[in-house]
Amino acid sequence: MDRETVSKVAKVARLKLTDAEIEQYAADLEDIIEAFAVLDEAPVVEEYDLGPIKVEDILREDVVCRDSDPAELREVMGTKDDWVRGPRLS
Amino acid sequence: MKIGLEIHVQLPTRSKLFCGCSTAGETPNSSVCPTCLGLPGSRPFLNRQALEMGVLIAKFLNCKIADRVWFARKTYFYPDLPKNFQITQYDSPLGTDGHFTVGGRSIGIWRVHIEEDPGRIRRVGRSGEEVALVDYDRSGIPLVEIVTAPDMSSPAEARDFLTDLIIELRRLIGVTGEEQTMRVDANISVGEERVEIKNITGMRNVEKGLKSEVNRQTKMLAAGKRIVRETRHFDEERGVTMPGREKEFEEDYGYIGEPDLGTYRIGPLAASMAIPETPLVRAARLSKEWRMGDQAARQIVLTDWALADMFEILAAKVGGEAAMSWTMGPLSSSWKDLRGRLLDLKGGIVDIVVSVASGEMTDSEGRMRISALSSGKEAEAPGENEGDLDAIIVQLVDEHPEVVKDYQGNERAANFLIGQVMKAMRGKYSSKVVAERMKKELEKRV
Amino acid sequence: MTTFPTADQLRSIDERHQVFCERLEDPLALDQGTFHFSAKDNLCSRGFQARAGSRILKGYRPPFDATPIRKLRESGGLLLGKTNMDEFGFGTFSTNSGFGVPRNPFDPERSCGGSSGGAAAAASLIPQHVALGVSTGGSISCPAAFCGVIGLTPTYGRVSRWGLIDYGNSLDKVGLLTRTARDLERYLPVISGPDPKDPTSLTQPVLDMRGEVETVAVPDEALVGLSPEVAASFREALKELERNGVKVREVKMPSLRYAIPAYYILATSEASTNLARYCGMRFGAMNQEFDQGFNDFFAQTRSEDFGPEAKRRILLGTFSRMVGFRNRYYMKALQVRQLIIREYRRVFDSCDAVLTPTMPFVAPRFDEIARMRPLEMYQADFLTVPPNLAGMPHLSLPCGYSHGMPVGMQAVTPQWTEGSLVGLARFWEEEFHYRFPEVMV
Repeated sequence: MDRETVSKVAKVARLKLTDAEIEQYAADLEDIIEAFAVLDEAPVVEEYDLGPIKVEDILREDVVCRDSDPAELREVMGTKDDWVRGPRLS
Repeated sequence: MKIGLEIHVQLPTRSKLFCGCSTAGETPNSSVCPTCLGLPGSRPFLNRQALEMGVLIAKFLNCKIADRVWFARKTYFYPDLPKNFQITQYDSPLGTDGHFTVGGRSIGIWRVHIEEDPGRIRRVGRSGEEVALVDYDRSGIPLVEIVTAPDMSSPAEARDFLTDLIIELRRLIGVTGEEQTMRVDANISVGEERVEIKNITGMRNVEKGLKSEVNRQTKMLAAGKRIVRETRHFDEERGVTMPGREKEFEEDYGYIGEPDLGTYRIGPLAASMAIPETPLVRAARLSKEWRMGDQAARQIVLTDWALADMFEILAAKVGGEAAMSWTMGPLSSSWKDLRGRLLDLKGGIVDIVVSVASGEMTDSEGRMRISALSSGKEAEAPGENEGDLDAIIVQLVDEHPEVVKDYQGNERAANFLIGQVMKAMRGKYSSKVVAERMKKELEKRV
Repeated sequence: MTTFPTADQLRSIDERHQVFCERLEDPLALDQGTFHFSAKDNLCSRGFQARAGSRILKGYRPPFDATPIRKLRESGGLLLGKTNMDEFGFGTFSTNSGFGVPRNPFDPERSCGGSSGGAAAAASLIPQHVALGVSTGGSISCPAAFCGVIGLTPTYGRVSRWGLIDYGNSLDKVGLLTRTARDLERYLPVISGPDPKDPTSLTQPVLDMRGEVETVAVPDEALVGLSPEVAASFREALKELERNGVKVREVKMPSLRYAIPAYYILATSEASTNLARYCGMRFGAMNQEFDQGFNDFFAQTRSEDFGPEAKRRILLGTFSRMVGFRNRYYMKALQVRQLIIREYRRVFDSCDAVLTPTMPFVAPRFDEIARMRPLEMYQADFLTVPPNLAGMPHLSLPCGYSHGMPVGMQAVTPQWTEGSLVGLARFWEEEFHYRFPEVMV
């Protein structure tokens, strides 16, 4: 885990790191990833799931229901004329 | 030349893909809830209808249907994406490896999956410095994504593909709207290298965008230049493609499974589904069954589904050729008026066509009768104000004693008088009614 | 930089404090079948901010109640307040909060444990209090052990996660921290059950509160790396259990060595996507500098308002799922989870529960924590992570005291058998005398 990898990962994650942070995280993550190499020894398991319990075919019917108030939600988001404000697109 | 398409079509559900919000938001941010806004602590819950529509489309496109599927988080950052990840399908699409036939050519379908739409951005401010105003009513709208193999060989063929696909989807799952329903990413390579044109709305623009890209690439190759692999955008107003400018680097989507949803056994679901006959499939069947031209069959089916039903009823009685001429002639020209009252009129129409075919009625009378049906002047049962009908019958019978005579030997002799009455009444009464009255009058005199 | 509260703020803090005390001391309320509870700050509720220990959620007031909070309120519960925690649950000592550090009720120089540190402190300090905690990799067991209370982490999916601010969705569980088995009996059925707002809660079987533990398995792997005082307390507890007729078996669970990496990879992979939404728009810390390009705009808020451990885990999680690393880390971790679930099931064929100490040491001092490397902190969870990874219910009980600091032991039972754990808690309470700190008012 070198500084370059940390910088690349930080960019993907939209984190701006100082040089000192990059230095620190590179060292921490190197330490961690090295210890995690033990996973390579674990046997291959063909069947796996996304969670620890079986959750299958849980579906809701196509029914419109409203249990929250959009006006209140707009207030939480601080809308302007009902629009949510965001940054420049370039 | 090779062209491949990634097509996004909105699934016509009432509620969104992962929450109960209506898909019909009006003012900005009026159809939103914690889930489609990605508020901390909210969770997705899959809409059964959307999943079933997706599976039906995959099956219709002859895909291999997965037995078990799950959803994935595709992480990228953009102001219209509330969670900054999109719930989509990555390593387990609904279907793979299908095909769809257009103009006699089979186009490969690589995959079919469903996913949520992001919000809608309105750009305000000076060009190049626009800030975003976001409406999340679209966030969570269900989409199906269909990815084709690069099997199309011209922009026109790509357009035909989209046209035919949407015709079929409209019938299959009730997709509504035309151009705006469809968003397409198109891959095109004239030479070796592939260029992607992102986010084109509507099939006409797909063809235009591809044409302009063909021109650009052809000119570059002719000039001995290399085509660079890149992503471009289609500028609708100027009708040309432009290099993409928004992404400053290649996103790494870092797909992981969506643990809040679990998995879905769609294999058994797909097996239990019957695919209803779609317009182009029906047109192909009609053209084969009744030995008619592809274009004619397509025209009947595309004019209206019920018109094609009418055709099939008539064809069974009078054969394909006659049914075709009635359907595409008198019926289709007044179809607008007939369609609304079809349940009442169907029997009458069949009678007329059968009568003409059997020679009981002349062709021109038949046409007149159809036109009377469509104008609504026709009355099936005699009413109080039918004095005019009786009067003219009496008058005609009086004028033609020879018919009364002939009638005694052959009831068909009445047809001459019936025809006269029909002509005089300009189709105001059905031949059935007229025939009954005429028979009554003649019987009196026998 | 520390900012000092203004006179107005002090007054309002004092008023709130007074309301808090009055509510606590209202015996009438309790007589009428009502009770008071607190909720970890990553559970949303109307009337309170929900910050999940993060500055990036400062000022966020959720417009809805988390299901467990709603259910407790509907059963007569009075939500007293929100308890402090490591930012988004990222920590073992509650030292990673954006809003101060809770202190251990037995020794203020020591940690409460984490990440439900505030919840454990509340349960330890306030008689007849029920604290809602949340565990992803041990965040209920650990602070329960350090603060000398009972901590129950139900099976994954037993309690709805609607309104829980996500850390790792396939691991997060809402549970209880209390002083007594009776409270578990009372409140677990209240917060449990299928919830149409959380699909993963809808496959659970009916909660069965019966059950007991007659045979326990102690894995060899769990007895390595313990501090002498924890090892001694745990040995004593095993003897006490045997004296009371419980059979103790030694077993081997070799897959447990993969639990820590698999857990940290899955948890941070999921966390790094969950945390993508915090970007200066819509809720929490709002960036007003709209004239920046969106990448800079997002990066600004995220860089300023996430704490150092949150950034570390975002980096680790983003790395683990990136092209080129995904198969080796994320996909492999998914497989290892199944491996560990199978290993537990094998042990449960012949035993009712797996028993280990909860933490390898007693609550450490803050100066000790400051010297630990991140990897050392992660590895301190080696006993609490396996049942969390496997979605198995587990319980931490006080089992001894060393120099006045509580030691905890942890029992794990098969999925959906919370009743056995409650039975164990009831039984243990009769055999072992719990100590609680003196409350200073």
